[in-house]
Amino acid sequence: MAETLPNSVMMHADALLERARQGDKNAQGKLVQVWYKRIYNFAYKFFYDHDLAMEVSQKTFISMHRNLAGLQEATRFKSWLYTIAVNYCREELRKRKASRSVSLNDFSPGESEVSYKWEASSGKLDNPEKQLRHTELSDLLQQCLMELSAEQREVVIMKEYEGLKFREIAEALQISENTVKSRMYYGLDGLKKILEKKQITKEALGYEL
Amino acid sequence: MNYKPDEGTLMAYLYGELDAAETEKVEQYLQQHPQMREQLQQMNNVRKALSSLNDVEVIAPPVFVDHEQHSIPFWKAGYFKITMGIAASFLFLLVAARLIGPEVTYSNGELRISFNDAPKNPVVEQSLTANEVQQMINTSLVKNNETIATNWEESNQKIQESLNKNLTTNSARIDKLISVASLASQDQVRTFVSGLQQENMKLMQDYFKLSSKDQQVYVENLLVDFTKYLNEQRKQDLILFQARLNNMEKNTDQFKQETEQILASIISNPEGTVRKVNNY
Repeated sequence: MAETLPNSVMMHADALLERARQGDKNAQGKLVQVWYKRIYNFAYKFFYDHDLAMEVSQKTFISMHRNLAGLQEATRFKSWLYTIAVNYCREELRKRKASRSVSLNDFSPGESEVSYKWEASSGKLDNPEKQLRHTELSDLLQQCLMELSAEQREVVIMKEYEGLKFREIAEALQISENTVKSRMYYGLDGLKKILEKKQITKEALGYEL
Repeated sequence: MNYKPDEGTLMAYLYGELDAAETEKVEQYLQQHPQMREQLQQMNNVRKALSSLNDVEVIAPPVFVDHEQHSIPFWKAGYFKITMGIAASFLFLLVAARLIGPEVTYSNGELRISFNDAPKNPVVEQSLTANEVQQMINTSLVKNNETIATNWEESNQKIQESLNKNLTTNSARIDKLISVASLASQDQVRTFVSGLQQENMKLMQDYFKLSSKDQQVYVENLLVDFTKYLNEQRKQDLILFQARLNNMEKNTDQFKQETEQILASIISNPEGTVRKVNNY
């Protein structure tokens, strides 16, 4: 059993985490390499903004470096990391609301990121037309996500894109599992309505699904 | 069956996080409530739609803040190293100075830093009066002049002597050479001239001999050639003459024939002529 690939990978990850906790710089660096993309993408989907996502992920990993030694249970590392990320996301959200510089960004989110997104999605789709359609669809979906409340958005992103279990999300957000499920339910429900409102039907998505 | 799964259970079912027994229950419920099933289906569609939003590629920054940076021991810190370096160099300078024994004096607006023995005040020599100096200069000048004069005379004499010597030796040599040359030349000239004459004679004789022979041969050749030429000419002339004679002969023959023809025609046609005559 221990010889199967996922198990050995998990063991490797555990060993990596253990070494990182004991202060191994190399292991800590590797941990960042492993988790950076996930945390960045979580923050990116939460804000739909590259700069904010970069800021949140950097802060998250700085905090991880400082506090890794204090982490009691290695099994909770994932939810622990997302807790840090979510806290920084909320902090940024508060800052944005306070500064009121949000409205413009919200009005056309991601507009300034066009070139960046072109770069980011290149190579995945060979056909330029397809790529354009895909980026349009991605933009649309991202806009739908942005219409959810922050609480629902957190849960939906963690569940749909980060693949966390409800239990892990509950740990990360430090709320009950039922609350998480409830938020997920209403989040999906809300998304369904938003998609209907934007007339993104199953047929419209047909060529992509 | 009063069982009605709550939202949480439905979510857990949707994401497959229910245990087998619970899953069974929910499925039974959904079979009885197509409305609910439809709703879940729609949610699943939403999930499918969401799945087309892909991850953004990003590369983790390679350098990260090292929180242990703050715990660098103070003796490794940069500013401490620098200050300690400066202090050490000062200390070294001071010790070195102490060992060498410096002396710093300030007098008459002159700052003097000296190591080892400070120079004693220069011994003040007895000052010389201007007259004495003048006298010394004069005496040295006189001495100088004397030595120069003697030197000059000596060298002059030497040059004179060497010149005389050279002159006498040279003139003696030249006289000798001239006498030898004059003695030698009379005999030599005579022999040379006689030799020349004899050679000339020989040359002339040879020349005449050679030339007379050559001329003879040449004239003979010339004569032979001329006779040959003449013979040739005569032959040619004869041939020409022959040809002319032949030509004349031919002409006379032709003339003869013509006259014969004319005579024949006249003879054969006497009547015609007569008739012609008559006609007129």
